[in-house]
Amino acid sequence: MENSSLTIEKPMKSDALHEAPISAADEQIIQDLLPRKFTKSGWVWTGILMAICLVGAFAYYRQLRYGLAVTHMRDYVSWGIYISNFVFFVAISLVGSLITAVFRLAGVKWGAPLTRIAEMIAVAAIIFASIIIIVDMGSPERFYNLFLYGRIQSPIIWDVIVIATYFVISLLLLYYPLLPDIKILLGFKERSGARLYKFYSFLGSFWKGSHKQYLLSKKAINVLCIAIIPVAFTIHTVTSWLFATTYRPGWDSTNFGAYFIAGAFLVGAGSVVVAMYVFRRWYHLEKYITLNHFDKMGRMLVLLSLLYLYFNVNEFLTPFFKMKESESAYLKDLFTGSFAPVFWFAILTGIILPIIILVFKQGRRPLPMFIVGIMVVVGAWFKRYLIVTPTLLHPFMPMHDVPAMYRRYFPSWEEWAITMGSLAGAILIITLLCRIFPIIPIQETITERHHETTV
Amino acid sequence: MKLLYKLSAGSIFFLLLLSCYNAFSQAADKGTLSIGLNYFVNNNQVQYLTAKVKTKVNGKFQNVGGIALKLFLNKDSAGNLIEKVITNEQGEATSMIPAGMSKLWKASVKHTFLASFYGDKKFDAATGDLTVGRAKILIDAGSDKTVTASVFEMKDTSWAPVKGVDVVLAVRRLGADLPINEKPTFTTDSTGKASGDFKRDSIPGDAKGNIILVAKIVDNDQYGNLSIEKKVPWGGKFVPVNLFNERTLFATRAKAPIWLILMATSIIIAVWGVLIMLVLNLFRIRKLAKEA
Repeated sequence: MENSSLTIEKPMKSDALHEAPISAADEQIIQDLLPRKFTKSGWVWTGILMAICLVGAFAYYRQLRYGLAVTHMRDYVSWGIYISNFVFFVAISLVGSLITAVFRLAGVKWGAPLTRIAEMIAVAAIIFASIIIIVDMGSPERFYNLFLYGRIQSPIIWDVIVIATYFVISLLLLYYPLLPDIKILLGFKERSGARLYKFYSFLGSFWKGSHKQYLLSKKAINVLCIAIIPVAFTIHTVTSWLFATTYRPGWDSTNFGAYFIAGAFLVGAGSVVVAMYVFRRWYHLEKYITLNHFDKMGRMLVLLSLLYLYFNVNEFLTPFFKMKESESAYLKDLFTGSFAPVFWFAILTGIILPIIILVFKQGRRPLPMFIVGIMVVVGAWFKRYLIVTPTLLHPFMPMHDVPAMYRRYFPSWEEWAITMGSLAGAILIITLLCRIFPIIPIQETITERHHETTV
Repeated sequence: MKLLYKLSAGSIFFLLLLSCYNAFSQAADKGTLSIGLNYFVNNNQVQYLTAKVKTKVNGKFQNVGGIALKLFLNKDSAGNLIEKVITNEQGEATSMIPAGMSKLWKASVKHTFLASFYGDKKFDAATGDLTVGRAKILIDAGSDKTVTASVFEMKDTSWAPVKGVDVVLAVRRLGADLPINEKPTFTTDSTGKASGDFKRDSIPGDAKGNIILVAKIVDNDQYGNLSIEKKVPWGGKFVPVNLFNERTLFATRAKAPIWLILMATSIIIAVWGVLIMLVLNLFRIRKLAKEA
């Protein structure tokens, strides 16, 4: 132990904390959970992510220089892969409210080690949701016009407002529970290095762990947990309204808000499962992220997949049954036409196979869960693509006298590079956050262990 | 031996197949065109012709576009040429009858329009014709909301009433003409007149309540298509409701509905108020550290 004066906060009967000298068991927890320097493979991983980001940045430079003409978005498909990616990021960010807020308010104790992972994913996703929407605008220097001239009647403005709100709440929800951990991190100056130590001091040197501070922090976290749920529901509902408030085949649906929220819960949980596996294996956290966590997350994924399947049936079965003239071309293209391979891949990989695999106990072991998590996330990305593009290619009014390239859409290399860059950027943020902060809340883990031993 | 028979039969079948293929490979015959003509007169002034060109493919008529037609009055000669036209995608072409032909038109009580196609790589030459008598139609609206149409034809040098012609009496609307009552057509009597009662009292008109009555003869074998219009103040006054400058969901930013502004602002203030309070809470926690 580097700092012999280090104390931790231990629970009393009143649920408050008191300063206590550190025990050997606590010391082990701290050593296990302290952030670790990158190994060689960690640097390689970070380098790869940065390289992908740089390629994306170069593609964006080209887009800025030559305009949106470098993309393959044209008059009909004016929302292409960027908006699909935006919807994906918004969806994945919902995980913060699910794991942190819903679990905490519902008193689900087993979810505690996953809260920070969930919040990190949420923050990274919401940052890139904001960035990708600016990329889609084409002229970022005109972004302020949204605030100067934006119409409060427009769902686009609601989305801007609610994304900003959700971002701040997610940051606060990441920051408040970090304060006790920062106090612990400050006790390991040599291990952290001077720069990180300064950073930790800036962030949380004021946290002494006093009873009053603890109470204020606890109250704030509870308020945040309550506030984030309606805001999270709003962000997804409003994002769905960007589509549903327009009159187009596939978007003209009253089901869209709930459909988006169900999908967001699923992809968010899937991303947490992937992160759980990677962190557990990489940082040897088997004691903290246990088989029980995988089992319970697996059950939850089944539930969320069934819920999302239900909304998909609602979304597609009724229009398929009616097969209205104006929508039939869109539906046929989706079910049996040019989009059918992607559509059935997204449905099978992202919803149906996860249910089949995870229903069995063997399927809820770490490796199968990891694979299922990846399937859910990849399936969800393609599902967002299918929500955006096929509808735009099937307008109510027939396409007349337009160049052939307007009638189809496949993203240009710049679009792919920017999209991949944004995905790599989000993973890079999560990677860096894990390098700086404990992946599993240290103080909370110690407190829980003490609770368990006293009970 | 059996194998030999089989081989011989197979060879014959194969040769027959080849001969069929050869038959199919013969140069295809040129198509045959059918040219239909229609004659129109609006308000006894504007005269025009429409031509429709079709061909039969697999037993079904199909419109033929890009066909060059020459339209003539009475005979196929340079002096009687009305116009050269080319059919559009629907196989249709329209031509106004030029004012310069009025002398020729007035010279006779009956005329024949001719449409000539001189053939090309795909189609054989074809002609179409239509004979019409000179006629005119008049419309009158009585104070008791009776609409009367009068039909006359040119006989020798004067206009004579025509008996037994079906006339449509209607109100001109945006998409189509609406009959003035439940009866679709009215037949002219010995004085050439056909009357009907106007029973569309609630119909909206323009800003002054004007509507347009129309009397028309449609696809008549002797006279073609004649129509005439008359404006009458029998409709309801149409007061346009322009929401352009009102507070609506589709208005500009400055014209957002008050309820929406209040609702959105109060939600934003409430949520951001909580967030600001939580940020200030951090300063309180910081202050507690100093006190400690």
